[in-house]
Amino acid sequence: MKQLNYDVVVIGGGPAGMAAALKAKETGATVAIIERNDELGGILNQCIHSGFGLSYFKQELTGPEYAELFIKQVAAVDIAVYLKTMVIDLSGERQVKAMNEEGMLQIDAAAIVLAMGCRERTRGAIKIPGSRPAGVLTAGLAQRYVNIENRKPGERIVILGSGDIGLIMARRLTLEGMQVLGVYELMPYANGLYRNIKNCLDDFDIPLHLSTTVTNIIGYPHLEAIEVAKVDENFKVFEETREVIPCDTLLLSIGLIPENELSQKSGVSLNPRTNGPLVNEALETDQPGIFACGNVLHVHDLVDNVTLEAEQAGTAAAAYALQQNIEIGVSENRPTETKPSEIKTAIPLSPGENVGYTVPAKMTIPSSKEARILFRVRKPLEQAEVVIQSGATILYQGKPRAFKPSVMEEVVLNPADINGSEQPITVSVREVKK
Amino acid sequence: MNHYDIIIIGGGITGTAIAHECSKYKLTAALLERGTDIGIGATKGNGGVVHPGYDPTPGSLKAKINVCGANLYPQLAKDLNFGIINPGIFVIGFTDADEAVLKHKLEFGIKNGVKDLAIINAEQMRNREPHLATDAKHALYAPTATVVDPFEVAIAFAENAKANGVEILTSQLVSAIEKRADGSFLIVTPNQQFTCTYIVNAAGNHADDVASLVGISEYQMKPRHGDLLVLDKDMISKPQTVMFPCPGPDTKGIACIPTVHGNTIVGSTATMMDDKEAVNNYAPGIQALIDGVHKILPELDASKIIRTFAGLRPVVLDNNNDFFIAESKTVTGFIHAAGIQSPGVASAPAIAEQVRDLLDNAGLEMKPKLDYNPYREKKTVFADLSIAEQDALIHQNPAYGRIVCRCETVTEGEIIAAIQGVIPAHTLDAVKRRTRAGMGRCQSGFCQYKVISILSRELGLPVDDICLEDIGSQQLCGSVKGGVK
Repeated sequence: MKQLNYDVVVIGGGPAGMAAALKAKETGATVAIIERNDELGGILNQCIHSGFGLSYFKQELTGPEYAELFIKQVAAVDIAVYLKTMVIDLSGERQVKAMNEEGMLQIDAAAIVLAMGCRERTRGAIKIPGSRPAGVLTAGLAQRYVNIENRKPGERIVILGSGDIGLIMARRLTLEGMQVLGVYELMPYANGLYRNIKNCLDDFDIPLHLSTTVTNIIGYPHLEAIEVAKVDENFKVFEETREVIPCDTLLLSIGLIPENELSQKSGVSLNPRTNGPLVNEALETDQPGIFACGNVLHVHDLVDNVTLEAEQAGTAAAAYALQQNIEIGVSENRPTETKPSEIKTAIPLSPGENVGYTVPAKMTIPSSKEARILFRVRKPLEQAEVVIQSGATILYQGKPRAFKPSVMEEVVLNPADINGSEQPITVSVREVKK
Repeated sequence: MNHYDIIIIGGGITGTAIAHECSKYKLTAALLERGTDIGIGATKGNGGVVHPGYDPTPGSLKAKINVCGANLYPQLAKDLNFGIINPGIFVIGFTDADEAVLKHKLEFGIKNGVKDLAIINAEQMRNREPHLATDAKHALYAPTATVVDPFEVAIAFAENAKANGVEILTSQLVSAIEKRADGSFLIVTPNQQFTCTYIVNAAGNHADDVASLVGISEYQMKPRHGDLLVLDKDMISKPQTVMFPCPGPDTKGIACIPTVHGNTIVGSTATMMDDKEAVNNYAPGIQALIDGVHKILPELDASKIIRTFAGLRPVVLDNNNDFFIAESKTVTGFIHAAGIQSPGVASAPAIAEQVRDLLDNAGLEMKPKLDYNPYREKKTVFADLSIAEQDALIHQNPAYGRIVCRCETVTEGEIIAAIQGVIPAHTLDAVKRRTRAGMGRCQSGFCQYKVISILSRELGLPVDDICLEDIGSQQLCGSVKGGVK
């Protein structure tokens, strides 16, 4: 059994893991990435469409191209990369138990970055009634089959859910000669990005049916049809709108859930609103030295944002690790920025009016750094403004504009804005009259 | 054409238990299952509770068989190496009127010979189940009750039977049976014919249809449908005990059931149906399950549901809800093991003994086999090993170092072992039942393509031919444009 030791161990070699590892390496820490697949890049490798990198690289890239830019950087520096290696346990003391074809690995880390990504919600999660035939699969699995395995899941496709993967797959399957009959969305608005509705559905005349859902799955052993129906604002079915649509494939694009099994094993507390860890402004979880970033923390719509977040986590994790090394006397190597010991307090940061969640969920003050606050609105708002306040004190107020749940919002607060706060901080998006 | 002393029709838990029993004797036997795998009818649509036997009316066939069968499980689990847990059962009363029902059950249980039954109070219940509803007043506690994975039990029975000489044949839908002049039977399936001296009809919901092939019309059957659901392992208010509400007149009610693998099953509804194939889930049933379990565990998080499924209990009509285990009155040598509704899992081992006695009475000589091996080798479950054992296993076979199913930590080595097993797995669901690959929270979203490719490689079949379960359930249908592998 191999015993290993690194300052920073990054679990997951997708876009989040690679960006975190690169930033951690810059500080001089020893860094390892543990990746379960055969290659780095994560889910980007099957996202062969373009649209990545517009904000981070200021150019339009495909998923594999975006990944490649990071894979090359990782290869150029001294980061230990373990491929085909699965982490199967993580302790709160940052001991990693992993495995690969060569055997078991026990790795001690001064700091951990959780970057395991997310998984797709399944049919079971939304309890669609009916038979349980072949031909019902998640959009991401279909993407894998088509883009990597070169196989078709069917010929006549219906997509439930207007998440981005579903929209991308609607176009992809159309281009591959399959017939995409329509996209059905339970909510009265689309869940994916506007540009994907436009480029993937509208441009290919694929209908999007809002406030409509799949009410029955028909056929066995293979899917033969689905039943759809319109729903009211409480998701109650309008009986007279039930309609049977013959098809051989149902793709589900009904949401993503951060994959936090390892986080939970290590004792990290999760935020029930995101299903990701509760973190502070440094993206540190409530287990000291364990940091989180990317889709394991909360589901992002753009990989560019994942990269930015991961860089922040990587830097913070390395600083923690190097500080630990000094404290336990194994290192003289001072991190670039050591924190003077001062009394710090954590105050909660929580979603207010119309806001679904915030990352971080707590702020450590006083702080010497800018604080990046990410959040999403719960429902589309035509004209509204962001208001961040601590008790009655307003820390930030944005300009009135439109908001959509599909778009992650960001506000950066200066240390001066927050350092005086004593009351819990709330982030609201308030509707304003036009 | 091979002649057998016994042919068992139906490879559910009942048929495989009978095959297992038959394999102990010097005789020739085969089991014919219509499905692509064994244990895929009522056996897989099941909550897995080994009911201890306080439900059936004292003196009924069911009462005797249920208690006897349940008592056989702990030893069988050791010999055949299948999973078993002993969570016990609470039958929970919420009103004073319920207490009378519980006492009635207690009395039945004592008469039926169930051990250690007791009525306990709210505090005693809450010590074990802190998340229990506050209006739960008292319960009948059956501490001996166990839970198994019913298809694992069926596979264990079948594998041990096969190792001891019984042929287990899948994809054998019996289409005709003839009673011949010499008293033997001719059995026809789409691609084979068999002859035998005795038939044991363990065809589940189709037992009446199978019997009618040889002109027997001694009973009629209808399925009693049940919806069930599975919850994720990481649940805060996870029950430790099987908990039923105080039952109504027709069903045991909606229970929460801790499983062998750490999940929770909620089941099941009970609705008489006409269609014997419609193993569908129904929206009102699923809602009834959620509402029902919330009466017992109000905090149970319904967002942790990872799967819904359904089962059809085989019910012989006008039979007082009892089993129908007897030799046919009209066709000698034809033995019914029919109407095995709840508690079919608990009863299976005792049904097998009952059928053995019927065969004996019908004139079949039952001489014990001296070289009978009662043990089934323990399969390798990577996740259950110590880190040192895991390391050693990988060094021995690197396929155990490749994780295929991340949710359940299932390795390629385990999947290959299932495909090459005594009763080989040829489909995605057969692999899933044997290894748990695809049973977890992602429901095969991450591992299905890997399992398909391993099946394809091991079986020498194109990936497009790999089925989910039954013939015609291929998950893929050809190459993308210009896609060359």
